[in-house]
Amino acid sequence: MSDKTILLVEDNADDEKLTLRALKKNNISNEVVVARNGVEALDYLFGTGAYAGRNLGHMPQVVLLDLKLPKLDGLEVLRRLRADERTKLLPVVILTSSNEEADRINGYGLGANSYVRKPVDFVQFIEAARQLGLYWLVLNEPPPARRN
Amino acid sequence: MSGPKSALTECEAPPDAVPLGGDPSSDSAADHSAAENSQRALLNILEDFVAEKSSLEHGQRAMLNILDDFDSERERMEGAQRAVLNILEDSVTEKVQLEAVQRSVLNILDDFAAEKIQLETVQQSMVNILDDFSEEKDRLEETQRAVLNILDDFEAEKNKVELVNQQLEKEIEERARIETRIKGVNTELLAANKELEAFSYSVSHDLRAPLRGIDGFSLALLEDYGEKLDEEGRDHLQRVRAATQRMGVLIDDLLNLSRVTRSEMRMEKADLGAIAGSIAAELQRTQPERRAEFRIEANLVAFADSHLLRISLENLLGNAWKFTSKREATSIEVGRTIREGEPAYYVRDNGAGFDPAYAHRLFGAFQRLHDKSDFPGTGVGLATVQRIIHRHGGRIWAESAPDKGATFYFTLPEATGRSDG
Repeated sequence: MSDKTILLVEDNADDEKLTLRALKKNNISNEVVVARNGVEALDYLFGTGAYAGRNLGHMPQVVLLDLKLPKLDGLEVLRRLRADERTKLLPVVILTSSNEEADRINGYGLGANSYVRKPVDFVQFIEAARQLGLYWLVLNEPPPARRN
Repeated sequence: MSGPKSALTECEAPPDAVPLGGDPSSDSAADHSAAENSQRALLNILEDFVAEKSSLEHGQRAMLNILDDFDSERERMEGAQRAVLNILEDSVTEKVQLEAVQRSVLNILDDFAAEKIQLETVQQSMVNILDDFSEEKDRLEETQRAVLNILDDFEAEKNKVELVNQQLEKEIEERARIETRIKGVNTELLAANKELEAFSYSVSHDLRAPLRGIDGFSLALLEDYGEKLDEEGRDHLQRVRAATQRMGVLIDDLLNLSRVTRSEMRMEKADLGAIAGSIAAELQRTQPERRAEFRIEANLVAFADSHLLRISLENLLGNAWKFTSKREATSIEVGRTIREGEPAYYVRDNGAGFDPAYAHRLFGAFQRLHDKSDFPGTGVGLATVQRIIHRHGGRIWAESAPDKGATFYFTLPEATGRSDG
């Protein structure tokens, strides 16, 4: 389970810290790569910018994607992932404060695999992190890795 | 013939006959006197005779003359007679001709009479035609008058139409102006709506994030450093968390309220009874220990957006459930009745009720008529319900007395036919 990484795309430091804490509380010790905006997320996934030369044979097990991000927002990041052969099938969970209908429709429309609203109550948040970890890191079978 | 004879007799003894061309010498001889007398007498006789003869001759001549005259007269007479005869003949011819002419004339007259009859007939016909024409003319005139009247009317009508047209044009212009204004207002409204959506999005996303931080780190404090705090310190942190979560709920309620206003309406036949039934079952599940009776009328079909209708019934039944929580036995009714002359749906409970003096504050956002410690809530629920009912074109009101339960009435558009669905 140790080689299965999580890509957390989150611009809010508090949320980042709380998410990491919630994962830790659930004994999820997988590596969590944090991208603090949309561009950073794409750099990591496509091996560009700060992540130039990264081994693209290793893709995260799941992407936890916030929607409201500086530079490129979450939906735009998702659109680009789905438009690229290398990331077309990558499991993406939208993890956001918004439960606006439009966000849900657009999120699923662009090919999100799941949509989870972050609860205010941290106890509920920890529970959400537990279920997400269990499902995406253990239960879910990811698409086969691409061979280049 | 008698004429000429009498003229001869008169000439026989002329009383003063004198010898004509007598020789005086014959009278002078002595012895001769007698002789002479005899001679003379003879002569006289001769002379008389000669005279007689000459007078006879004369008479004869006269007679001849007369006869001549007579002849010529006769000739003349004959001529005249011939002429007369001729004339008569001519006259006869003339007469024949005249008769022919007359006949012709008569014929002509006959013809003329026939002609006249024909003419009269024609004339009659003409008269008739003229009469007819006159009638026709009258009719035509009448028609003409009628046409003129119609034309007058038409003119009047045309004027009216023109007037109306002008008014219409004015109205169209006015409408165009209004439409332009409406478009402008609409554009503003759309912009305002967009802004509201952006605002809601911000509220939804940005206001909740800090709350999550407050709650999350308060809990982290309690978990990681709880033993370093005394009981009061830990209680403060718990209150921070409770307040945070209340604010979270408040934000969600506000978002729902704004969503209820913004969301598109999908009108359909909606079964209030079925919706109320499922909400009642859900409420009972949350507190299975409560003794509660739900009485829901069958066939409560209205024409409504069923999603919005569910939200309003969730609020109304949720309130009824909440305000009856201190009763030993809860009784909640959902039904239909006639109030103020129109059909109204109602949700009735036997709960705490409210003071009617404050009824006007019931449907305002953040308005609460009870202490939070008694009955928790944000005061947004009934505002949401009212907004939904108003969006359906209905009304909502409530009747109650403290401790006597409450009844919430609301009206909705009628379903065109009530069904068992």
